[in-house]
Amino acid sequence: MLSGPPPPPPLLTLRRAAKNFGGVRALRGVDFDLQAGEVHALLGENGAGKSTLIKIITGAHQPDAGEIIVAGRSLTGLTPSLAQQLGIACIYQQPALFPDLTVAENIGLRLEPAGSMRRINWSQRRQRALELLARVGANLSPEAEVRTLSMPEQQLVEIACAVGAGARIVVMDEPTASLTSREQDRLFTVVRELRSSGVGIIYISHRLDEIFTLADRVTVLRDGESVGTQPVSAITHAGLIKLMVGREVDQLYPPTEFTGGEIVLELRNVGCAAAGVYNVSLAVRAGEVFGLAGLVGAGRSELARVLFGLTPADRGEILLCGKPITPRSPAEAVALGLAYVPEDRRRHGVVLELPIDQNITMAIHARLFPTAWLKLGTERKLALDFIRDLAVKCAGPQAPGGSLSGGNQQKVSLARWLATQPKILILDEPTQGVDVGAKSEIHRIIRQLAKAGLAVIMISSDLPEILGMSDRIGVMRGGKLTTILPGQSDAHAVMAAALGQELAKGAA
Amino acid sequence: MIAANNQPSWRRFLLRYETLLLAVLVIEWLIFYHYGTSTNRRGHLVGFGTLDRQFDILRHSCEIGLLALALTPVILTAGIDLSVGSLLGLCAIVFGKLWHDGGLSIPLAAALTLVVGAMGGGLNAGLITALRLPPLIVTLGTYSLFRGLAEAITQGAVTYTDFPSGFLFLGQERWNGLPMQAWLFLLMAVLVWILVHRTTWGRSFRVIGFSPEGARYAGLPVERRVSIVYILAGIIAALAALIYTARLGQAKADAGTGYELFAITAVVLGGTSIFGGRGSVTGTLLGVAAIAVLKNGLACLPVVIRLNAAEEISGLLTGALLLVALTGNAVPTFLNYLRARRQAR
Repeated sequence: MLSGPPPPPPLLTLRRAAKNFGGVRALRGVDFDLQAGEVHALLGENGAGKSTLIKIITGAHQPDAGEIIVAGRSLTGLTPSLAQQLGIACIYQQPALFPDLTVAENIGLRLEPAGSMRRINWSQRRQRALELLARVGANLSPEAEVRTLSMPEQQLVEIACAVGAGARIVVMDEPTASLTSREQDRLFTVVRELRSSGVGIIYISHRLDEIFTLADRVTVLRDGESVGTQPVSAITHAGLIKLMVGREVDQLYPPTEFTGGEIVLELRNVGCAAAGVYNVSLAVRAGEVFGLAGLVGAGRSELARVLFGLTPADRGEILLCGKPITPRSPAEAVALGLAYVPEDRRRHGVVLELPIDQNITMAIHARLFPTAWLKLGTERKLALDFIRDLAVKCAGPQAPGGSLSGGNQQKVSLARWLATQPKILILDEPTQGVDVGAKSEIHRIIRQLAKAGLAVIMISSDLPEILGMSDRIGVMRGGKLTTILPGQSDAHAVMAAALGQELAKGAA
Repeated sequence: MIAANNQPSWRRFLLRYETLLLAVLVIEWLIFYHYGTSTNRRGHLVGFGTLDRQFDILRHSCEIGLLALALTPVILTAGIDLSVGSLLGLCAIVFGKLWHDGGLSIPLAAALTLVVGAMGGGLNAGLITALRLPPLIVTLGTYSLFRGLAEAITQGAVTYTDFPSGFLFLGQERWNGLPMQAWLFLLMAVLVWILVHRTTWGRSFRVIGFSPEGARYAGLPVERRVSIVYILAGIIAALAALIYTARLGQAKADAGTGYELFAITAVVLGGTSIFGGRGSVTGTLLGVAAIAVLKNGLACLPVVIRLNAAEEISGLLTGALLLVALTGNAVPTFLNYLRARRQAR
């Protein structure tokens, strides 16, 4: 037995932290601890609960159950300002600085005591900014306006603020997402210096390589639960991916009956520089569910917006039933027979203030009311049909969209596009934020539609859903369609393609 | 809102904003009828209660009423048009110049004036949809531009008069018992009501007002619909210019100065949300009537006559009425907010 000094108490401990949003269980009892002087990586698929965990640590959300212990103190009501006092700082992917103020002013605003009639000591403010910038190794002028700085420079300013505030716990949320490899190296140096000064760093990233270069320990989250904390030295790439993906598809998905059909939509080298979509080629057949997998920001929704004419393609060819089309606006796309059920249903999918029937008929004004004269009876009847067919739970066709639950709003959004009788249906995260019951109903509906001969493209960050529903799976990364896998692929292959990893043979 | 659906229809009718406004209007009218009417030495009725006075109110409210009708669809799309009053002035001058100096017949000059109105609205529409500029700024610019053009054409001095009696009939005579322009106003009110409440276009104005992004994602032609409301506003402003010219018998560059503010007040008083989406043409008509009755009724009250301050007091009361209406509209939202906050705790 080695008898060393007892390990110091952790900077931060979470015990059985849980959080629900409406009916959705975002965190179901997570244990997590952070030591002084370590980089602790947090890893998980989209929606695994990372953001919720961070928001609990920074005090933005209160956990429904469980305990937060910071520096030995058990906290029940952690608020953002209390978190700040306790030395918890968070550096987000998008720096939250005031672009029109200078570096010194931004640092001053964060660190100097507030007070409406306080005199500003400009030379002191400048001096402090210089010191902090030097400590994080940033060669920046305190007088520079933040809008003139690059993204990594802004991150350094954020880190300088954290250092200046005496932060003991620094959360970094995908800090390298928009950095070049040289900028990344510089950031790593700063992170290592913070670590050697005794700061604990929670580091979130999708890039496995970074985790192996930088982190000491890694915790993997899956479906709102922590599935293991391990020293990085004790785990391999493949082992990590296996942890993230975990169990097999355990939910029951309706079986596919796709046997092949006519090609409905074909893309040949389609790209749109403004949207960040490059050289996408694929073909979707009638009756097929084509799953689009990838990480958030991989370009899946962007591709959908290109097809739907929201950001028209600037290169390549789109063929619908063999005929080339160039949708320049959603109105044109709808007329051609494309339908897009958007990801953000509260902003784009349903007009919350308007009743269900008006929401459902919104995309078929021209067909339902050819003379532009509203026929309210016809509209009501159509809405009632969809409410019955899709089992929308509501007070009636006149109930405003905002009165419905997430799953029922999604059904209304879906109904609007089914009403257009499209040739191709693009679904963007169709079950995100939807409770389990409505989720399997939506899956059943999607399968029925495909069976009836509709070509479906389904974007999803929910890996089991992609595996359970897709006849083929396209994986996107960095705006490109990198891989097309058969529907019976295993989760590891999809995850590895999304992360850009070559799986070693036999690793799975 | 859902709760309201379960209540009997008579209660829903009583709780509607338009019903409340109608009640305010009736009370207002009765007060002025009671205090503003008297008998002169020869035993004739004078003041507010006379038929002549009522027709006067109608005649004077037609132009602002038309502008309020024009602004209702605009505000439903969460837009605003400050230039309608100035466009009224420009159209009056264009009409006068075409007839007087251009030697065109009255119908031809009137038709061309409507085209000029459409072009003025089209300029607003183009700047707003193609350049994606905010309507407030665009129409603040054309507000000065149109008035400036009107003054440039007349050099600030010329007014056009001596219109033929056939044209003046439009603004000064009665037809089937009502002033001629009231018939035109009613016709426009019915047309705008149909547009807003019974067509897919009116439906899309609301969608755009509630959520322009949502409208785009639903495949609605947002730019074309927004353009239509501004062009329509221009055409109606031109029609108001013709009626104005006929009523006064002269076309001058300062015609309709300040009318846009009265019109916006009437629309908002009528229950249309300045943030777009919510509102009705019926409400706008009631708003116009409430303001017109207030303005004219005050001028008949003995106390106001003695003070010789009808304009000032009517401005004061219009403002107060608007603030009360806005507060009344905001109360349910505020109560919901309080309830939500209590539940969050």
